[in-house]
Formats: sequence, C-alpha cells, structure tokens
Amino acid sequence: MTAKIILAGVKKHFGAKVVLNGVDLAIEPGESMVIIGGSGTGKSVMLKCILGLLRPDAGDIRVDGKSVVGLSARALADHQARFGMLFQGGALFDSLPVWRNISFALKGSAAERRAAAIDNLARVGLGTDVADLRPSELSGGMQKRVALARAIAARPEILFFDEPTTGLDPIMADVINNLIRTLVTDLKITALTITHDMASVRKIADSVAMLYEGQIVWHGSRHGIDSADNPYVDQFVHGRADGPIRMQVRKL
Amino acid sequence: MTSLATTLSHALIALGSVIIALLGSIGRLARFAVTALGRMVQPPWYPAQLFEQMLVIGYFSLPVVGLTALFTGSALAQQIYIGGSRFNAAATVPAVTVIGIVRELGPVLGGLMVAGRVSSAMAAEIGTMRVTEQIDALTTLRTDPYRYLVGPRIIAAVLVMPLLVLVSNALGVMGGWLLATGRLGFNSAAYLNTTAQFLKADDVISSMVKAAVFGFFIALMGCYHGYHSSGGAAGVGRATTNAVVSAFILILLSNLIITVIVFGS
Repeated sequence: MTAKIILAGVKKHFGAKVVLNGVDLAIEPGESMVIIGGSGTGKSVMLKCILGLLRPDAGDIRVDGKSVVGLSARALADHQARFGMLFQGGALFDSLPVWRNISFALKGSAAERRAAAIDNLARVGLGTDVADLRPSELSGGMQKRVALARAIAARPEILFFDEPTTGLDPIMADVINNLIRTLVTDLKITALTITHDMASVRKIADSVAMLYEGQIVWHGSRHGIDSADNPYVDQFVHGRADGPIRMQVRKL
Repeated sequence: MTSLATTLSHALIALGSVIIALLGSIGRLARFAVTALGRMVQPPWYPAQLFEQMLVIGYFSLPVVGLTALFTGSALAQQIYIGGSRFNAAATVPAVTVIGIVRELGPVLGGLMVAGRVSSAMAAEIGTMRVTEQIDALTTLRTDPYRYLVGPRIIAAVLVMPLLVLVSNALGVMGGWLLATGRLGFNSAAYLNTTAQFLKADDVISSMVKAAVFGFFIALMGCYHGYHSSGGAAGVGRATTNAVVSAFILILLSNLIITVIVFGS
C-alpha cells in the first residue's frame, strides 16, 4: 500500500528565513497524523505547501503517487478540491449566513444546499437554529464547529486541521477533539492536524511527527510519544523550558 | 576621498534597491492584472457577486458623485463668468462649462470620488479576508478567489462607471445652468441651446471611455492591495491607503494620457 501523502526533502524559505529545511514525511490512507512543534516551526507553511497555496523551493510532494508541485491552475484546482481544511481562526465568510458558509462548495438548488448544511451542522452537534445566523453572532467554539461542518461538507478525501483547539476552553477543546476523531473514523478520511496541544494529540492522533527547525525530528505512533527516546519530543510533551529546544528569550 | 566613494556607493545601493523594489511591485501588479483578466473570461462566473458589486459601486455612489458634479458645475460656471467678463466673453459660460465638465471634471472628479469610496472598501474587505485566511478558505472550497472576488469587482466597475459619469456630467451641466440662470441672469432656453450646440458626440464618448478606464483602475487597485495585504490590522490599513492613493494617481495619469491622445492633435 502506498502512502496517501509523501513529502520528500521539502524546503521553503521566506527571504533569509529558512522555514522548512528538508521535510520528509509519509501519511498512510485513513491515518490521522498529528504534527507537533512550537510556534513558528513551519507547521502551517508545510500544510500550505501540501495544499498548493505555497510552492516549495525544493523537494517533492506527492498525493496518491502524483506530484503536486508546479501544477497548472486547473490541475491545482482539482488537487485542492480533494482537501478540506479547518483554519485556525475558522476563516468563515462573515458576509454569509452559517448555512451558506457550510454549503459554499456544494452544488444544487438552494433548498438542497440548505438541507445539506443542516445535515452537516447536526454532525458537529449544532441545531437548525444557527443556520441563519451570521458567523459574528456565534461564540468561538460554535464558529470552530461551523468551520468543521464546512470542511467536511464536500466529503473530502483528506482533511487538514490547523490548531483546532487554539483559543478554546478545555471542555470545548475536548468537544472539538472528539468531533474530529469521530468524523475522521466515520468518514474514513486521511487527516493531518497541526497543534501544540498535547490533549489534542492524545485524542486525535494515530501517529505523531515532530517538526523542529524545519525538519521532522521524530515520527512514531501516538503510544510512543511518552516513551520516545528523543530529547525534543520529551521536552515538548512535558512542556519544559529546559532542554534541547531553546526559546529566544533574553536573560534578565 | 575614500569616505566620499563610500557615501556615493551607499547612495547608489540605496537608489538601486528602491528601483528594484519599484520594478518588483510593477511586475507583481502586472501579473495580478493579467491573471485576473485571464480568469475573468473563463467560467465559472458569479452573476450574484457581479450584481452586488454593480449595486455597491454604481448605485450607492450616485449621491456623492452627483453632489460633487452639481457643486463643481456651479463653481465652474461662476469662475468662467468672472474670467470671461474681463474679455467681454461672459457669454461663453454655457459652452466652456459643458466642455469642462464632460471632457475633464465629470469623469475625473467622479472617478476620484468613487476611488475614495470603493477602492478603499475593496482593499479593506479583501485585505481582511486575506489576513483571516478567508481567501485560503475559498481555494479549499473549490472557488478561485480571482473569479469570485476580483473578476466581479473589475467587471462591475468597468460597466457602471460610464453610466455613473453620464449622470455626473448631466448634473454638472445642471449645476452650471442653475447658477447661471439663478445668479448671473442667463436666459434658461438660450443657455441650454448653447450647451447642446457645443456638446459633441466625441466629448461624451471620450468621457465614457475615461470612466471605463478609471473604473478598471479603481477596482484593480482595491483588489490588488487587498489581495496582497499582510500583517493584521495595520497591514489592512496600509493596503487601504495604498489602494486609494495609487487609484488617484492612475486616474489622473490615465486622464492626461487619454486627453492628449483624443484632444491633443
């Protein structure tokens, strides 16, 4: 069985700043992989490279064995249509009501699309009453759930989650984590999540990879993270300030 | 001597980097415009977006553009009267007013007012969509942001600006007529008669061509600066300012070029 997504030697820099410095990673079909790493380690850039929103400077990205680097505009649109993405801030269209956000990529009559939107709202545990609200009228947790409903509405093959629990209280974060786990299992989706929330990792992940200074420094199963013989993973999982990962903090 | 050479080379490096940055942004803008125009002619199209933009750019700009034209037409007639009286040529008020309004002031002031209203709003809206990842979200939802956001705005602006300027011209002439008949003692029928005599089809056509060109720049600048904004709220603020300033400059420059081409020979 070939991997669903393969990254080989992916590099990306912005000006003098090297963000990705040779990322190698393989994600199996139906697998839920979580990428962990501190802020600014290039996790979001990596997702955007796979989506084709950014073009890597070097290396190759393959989805189902087909290279997706340097596609034409039309082929890129077909490529992007296979993905759903939950953005960090939700990225809901604030000019549209909730149901039109969710059914944005769907075809059909307004009544059909509205019915599909309500169906997807139910999947994330929200009722019909929110369908006609504007995104600005929802709480942060509800916005995340609506964004999740929008990401799964077109039944993508691959789902990306960009920091799904950031900015939520622990209980709402757990609700989102459970939803993600259930949806990924039920809809048989390949999922890639980036987070620095260890509770998310333990809930969502089948396997975990750690990104540090633009490279994957560790890759293994979720159960392996606590016993990983890797100083980076060990420091991150236990959230210690001291260790091989040095934060840029000036001495007082 | 060495210090002079160092200073000079530093100055040259600074100048060079400014030129490189300028050429870079011209290149980015050209690429943006070509991409937008190329995508615009291929489906899918978004008629609902187009209609909404026509309403926002055209209909809702009517009051501000109309008032601008009305006041300017009146002021123009007053000044031509004062200036003309010195050469016993006060009777030229209707002719000079209509030519001044239709050829220059109607389209230019209308363009500037719409740029102030619309370029800024487009840059702010698209810029906010950029920094909140809504534009990235569009691409993951099978929607090309060029076709969905940029295309309808440019098409709408190019279509409605000529109509808007037509109204603006009419109100400008009316402003002149109101002042001339009300304050300067012109005969109403004679004023309108002279106006009609002096107004040529070429004047109206050039006015509408200018309006369409201005509409293109108004929407292009709003979309371009919004699309490329970065850095949160401050970035969106910068994009808004840049959109208005660059639209103003492009309107004034293209107006000069069209005027020289059409009326210069």
